[in-house]
Amino acid sequence: MRPSLKENYLDQVVDFANKNEEPNWFSELRQDALNKSADLALPQYEKINYRSWRLDRPKAPFAEDENISDVTLPETDNLLVQNGGTTVVSKLSDKLADKGVIFTDIWTALKEYPDLVQKYFLNTTINVDSNKLIALNLALMNGGSFLYIPKNLKVEEAIQAIYIQNGDEKKDYNHHVLVVADEGSEVTYLENYLSNGNKETNIANIVVEVVALDNSNVHFSALDQFGSNVSTYLNRHGYVGNDARLDWAIGSMNDGHVVGDFGTELRGEGSHTEAKVVAITTSDQVQGIDTKVTNYGKHSIGHILQHGVILQSSTLTFNGVGHIVKGARGSDSQQESRVLMLSRKARGDADPILLIDENDVTAGHAASVGRVNEDQMYYLMSRGIDEKTAQRLVIRGFLSSVITEIPEKEVRDRMTAMIERKLVNGQQK
Amino acid sequence: MSTLEVKDLHVSVVDDENGKGQEILKGVNLTMSTGEIHAIMGPNGTGKSTLSQAIMGNSAYKVTQGDILFDGKSILEMPVDERARAGLFLAMQYPQEIAGVTNVEFMRAAINSRRADDDQIPIMEFMKKLDAKQEILDMTDEMSERYLNEGFSGGEKKRNEILQLLMIEPKFAILDEIDSGLDIDALKVVSRGVNSMRGDNFGSLIITHYQRLLNYIVPDQVHIMMDGRIVKSGGPDLAKKLEEEGYAGLRDDLNIDAKLTDEI
Repeated sequence: MRPSLKENYLDQVVDFANKNEEPNWFSELRQDALNKSADLALPQYEKINYRSWRLDRPKAPFAEDENISDVTLPETDNLLVQNGGTTVVSKLSDKLADKGVIFTDIWTALKEYPDLVQKYFLNTTINVDSNKLIALNLALMNGGSFLYIPKNLKVEEAIQAIYIQNGDEKKDYNHHVLVVADEGSEVTYLENYLSNGNKETNIANIVVEVVALDNSNVHFSALDQFGSNVSTYLNRHGYVGNDARLDWAIGSMNDGHVVGDFGTELRGEGSHTEAKVVAITTSDQVQGIDTKVTNYGKHSIGHILQHGVILQSSTLTFNGVGHIVKGARGSDSQQESRVLMLSRKARGDADPILLIDENDVTAGHAASVGRVNEDQMYYLMSRGIDEKTAQRLVIRGFLSSVITEIPEKEVRDRMTAMIERKLVNGQQK
Repeated sequence: MSTLEVKDLHVSVVDDENGKGQEILKGVNLTMSTGEIHAIMGPNGTGKSTLSQAIMGNSAYKVTQGDILFDGKSILEMPVDERARAGLFLAMQYPQEIAGVTNVEFMRAAINSRRADDDQIPIMEFMKKLDAKQEILDMTDEMSERYLNEGFSGGEKKRNEILQLLMIEPKFAILDEIDSGLDIDALKVVSRGVNSMRGDNFGSLIITHYQRLLNYIVPDQVHIMMDGRIVKSGGPDLAKKLEEEGYAGLRDDLNIDAKLTDEI
């Protein structure tokens, strides 16, 4: 019999927590999570089978971060860059710092703002008991960050983070991000995961929590680009308070296997989310994305839009789950999931799942798996553009729901370049 | 000088409902050279747009007989993009909208598709040209920075088709009802754009219902199309005569047995 996770990792967890001077409550939370992880089940998603990726078998969670080659950094005043768990850049403009904005690595936050972190960490939507992978994320967390926007502060500049997984190093990537927008605040946060190097086979386990308190407005953009040798569990969850709004624009441009669990809990009355996800799968990779919005609050609005493109012999599954609980009167749940197939060997699925437990609501769904729009192809080609280029442009149009949502031109361009690269690779036989 | 010849062209489209091919063009003959502007007029449902789509190479339109020759060579086997790079252009009646791709980027891609990989148009040269062409069409940078036709009004789309024409500078441009939905001011602007292309190296085939457009873009030749054939050709006066007599009058003059769609 294999030794249990606890036997294997308890000492390392305690050592790591001590080394990073984590407060006792946090170290205990980790140990508790490690204990529970043994009995908790893996999360299950319709039509997404990821058991063989062995995301629940950590290998090297606490290896040292090695130096990696340079990554081009955007020129911005508000930027956090982490190489594995090592913070390489941590910048916040004086203007924002003076107003009380906090943007640091997770350990600095645990030291300097323990009460704030404790209040929200795994405490608003998902928690340590939710499933085995979330418990493991906490127990073996080896990187992460904290962003806090104080009450009524409207931040105009985008806050950016770049999280680098060193693909040439044998190390599990266990990352946790906590974003808290206090009452009446506004913020745009952009995060970019990327692999630098691709020599080793690794697993990644990422949990991102976004807390949008009453009357706040959070715009969350993500560009996910893990390498082909990384298998990833990526959980993003949001809490939305009274009259608050949380918009997601997620580009799942990974080259490796990914199971994405993107959930939003519309807890407040009049709360609102627009969850937009685009994905491209190539080669023989599998991406399974389960986007869920739960309406708890009266007059809450939850919209899901997922657009994806599959090439070569890859697999892409979009689940859209709209759940309206009893009592959420006057709420609205809409979703659209569309998949474009560019190859006969590819597999695609778009599954709408509506769970409605209240009568006084509006709900709707649309889902399709189809081919590239021939009228658009004809139009572009009639201007001399060759078939493959035209196909890439049409696909970019199809994915534009997320591209156009990204507020920073520089990030938008990065996303466009990423799409272009992935499609060019995917168009090869 | 380049030539475009349409010889005894028969074209069918497949009916979506019964899956059967329906013959729309029943033997069209037409020869035009660069330096000339031709107009094709005709009642609704007579095959004018089918002719333009068949020349451009829309795969929904099947050529069942006859040929289309560009500088003496058949282009029937050429895909759409090759025909475009060879020098054909079609200003469409219903341009597609594509979000996420800007007008500027689209036009650069179109121009660069005609150039070698190591000889792509320098950005400054492109922008300079774009500025000059926009000015002819009373267009602003703001429009070019927008996503391709997305959210454009009918008139803006037509203008944008002509902007592409001026940027790409084809040998032959087919304008498919470029005047539909345009008010008189927009019509003048669009005409100014097309007229700016006139010259020895440019030919155009203008498809229209109404004579009005031909007041602004004066054609060298006018062809009347009915029931899938060109039934009469002549100078600009033919269009004026048609305006006075109507299609039904002309049909009866010519003793043609064609049913007009709009006729009760």
